[in-house]
Amino acid sequence: MTHAPIKLSTRNLCKEFRKGAATIEAVRAVSIDVRDGEFISVVGASGCGKTTFLRLVDGLISPTSGTISIDGKPVKKPGEKLAFVFQQDGLLPWRTVLDNTLFGPEIRGGKKAESLATARGFLKLVGLTGFDTHYPHELSGGMRQRVNLARALTAGADVLLMDEPFAALDAQTRTIMQGELMRICRETRKTVLLVTHQIDEAVYLSDRVLVFTTRPGRLKEEILINLPRPRDLAVKFSAEFGRHCDHIWRLIEEEVRASMGLELQSAAGTHQMN
Amino acid sequence: MRRSYEAAPANQSASSPAGLVKHPAGSGMVRRVVIGLSQNGWTQTTVSFLAAVLLWEFTAHYLIDKPILFSPLGSIVKRAIELWQDGELQYHMWVSFVEFAGGFGLAIVVGIGLGVAFAASRFVRNFFEPWVSMLYATPIIALGPLFILWLGIGVSSKIAIVFLTAVFPILINTVVGLTITERTLVDVARSLGATNMQIYTKIRIPGATPYVVAGLRLSVARALVGVVVAELFGARAGLGFLIFTSAQNFDTPALFVGVIIFAIAGVASVSLLKWLERYFAAYRFQETGE
Repeated sequence: MTHAPIKLSTRNLCKEFRKGAATIEAVRAVSIDVRDGEFISVVGASGCGKTTFLRLVDGLISPTSGTISIDGKPVKKPGEKLAFVFQQDGLLPWRTVLDNTLFGPEIRGGKKAESLATARGFLKLVGLTGFDTHYPHELSGGMRQRVNLARALTAGADVLLMDEPFAALDAQTRTIMQGELMRICRETRKTVLLVTHQIDEAVYLSDRVLVFTTRPGRLKEEILINLPRPRDLAVKFSAEFGRHCDHIWRLIEEEVRASMGLELQSAAGTHQMN
Repeated sequence: MRRSYEAAPANQSASSPAGLVKHPAGSGMVRRVVIGLSQNGWTQTTVSFLAAVLLWEFTAHYLIDKPILFSPLGSIVKRAIELWQDGELQYHMWVSFVEFAGGFGLAIVVGIGLGVAFAASRFVRNFFEPWVSMLYATPIIALGPLFILWLGIGVSSKIAIVFLTAVFPILINTVVGLTITERTLVDVARSLGATNMQIYTKIRIPGATPYVVAGLRLSVARALVGVVVAELFGARAGLGFLIFTSAQNFDTPALFVGVIIFAIAGVASVSLLKWLERYFAAYRFQETGE
């Protein structure tokens, strides 16, 4: 894995939002390298800019400064090399499972017959054979996320950008989907950049975990997870797994406490002024 | 339990049998009988109609035994046949239909057109919105006499009134449908590389269609009321005119002929629109049909 070529890299990626007269700095100088086939998670406190970072990488928003490159070539709009998997499944309610899955090729004007075979293949891979003509409202939350995943895969991307894809699922379904995601990534050899709140999810799935600071989001620490693959649930009970989780939690806690302290100070400050 | 698509205006309609399905009353036999009957809605409908006919006849023969005040069904049917044979009924129906179709058609074109413009341009929206709110809140019917003065006693004044009573639900629903589009759906399309045009054709328009059709359903009933009332203010023909003149001539059966035709037209058009709503938003209704 460590010798695989670099698939995706960002250099000094910054993003500022203007809100009226104020400028909010969401992401500051993030530089990362993701190797081909690597699974990377980004964790951090709520509102730390990790989702903004993911949206920057996908080109949904454009950076204030900094560059993104894929396969060594700088890109403005990453486009077809990347696919975004949103937290809400984002399925079109008026389309069947199959038509939802075909949405990517349809937008890009791909060949219908070819993409039909691809879509069916990926639906099978995510375990949804026989649901082609179902509508999203007929599916459970877990099944909808499977369709969401199949759609991203059918779009033909090398890199999956996932923004808390399992956050809306119940605990059991989430655990099952984590296992499924690992299996699917192994079989398709996709590169994944996953944003999550769940530290154990990050450790369980990833080769590396990136911890972000509170706003503005910067890279605080990078943790290499050397747990052997393929992993099963038992790995969660190993000492090494616990150590990683504990370490990451401490890093995040440090950040949260620091920012809370600042908030308390500034609140006290305004109070005195009044 | 299946999840429903949120923010559906159509769900406000009282037609959904979801309550019965989700909370079946009683247990065992009773429940099965209740559900069995409700699935075969025709039974209740037929019984209800028969009861209404009996009540009507009873009232006409025993309670209000004055032909000027109330008519038995037989004499209403007889009067309808007479009017038809004279060619009078068809003429009134045709005139009312033209007024309805003209006004409602115009309302569809302007309502959807302006709705698209509102959704597309903040400037247009800010410019027109106060007037829309004001006119929507005004009982347009009150302006009826004014339109008769401006446009005369003929068909055009009626078309104007029908148009104004019908246009706002269509306009407002179009704007809501186009702007309410879930942020995530647009993001999904954008992330897959969709152009702005594709976001319109593949996300916003299909997303808005159920809202627009719901707007049409709300409007069609208002348009029919518009036809009657507009004709009451002054007309030379039309079903509203028939009702009005029949009342003045104490021709009560003919009055009821007009009223019943309006009732049938109302039920038919609303049913048609409800069917269209289901057709365009099947995904919203399927879950209630379990």
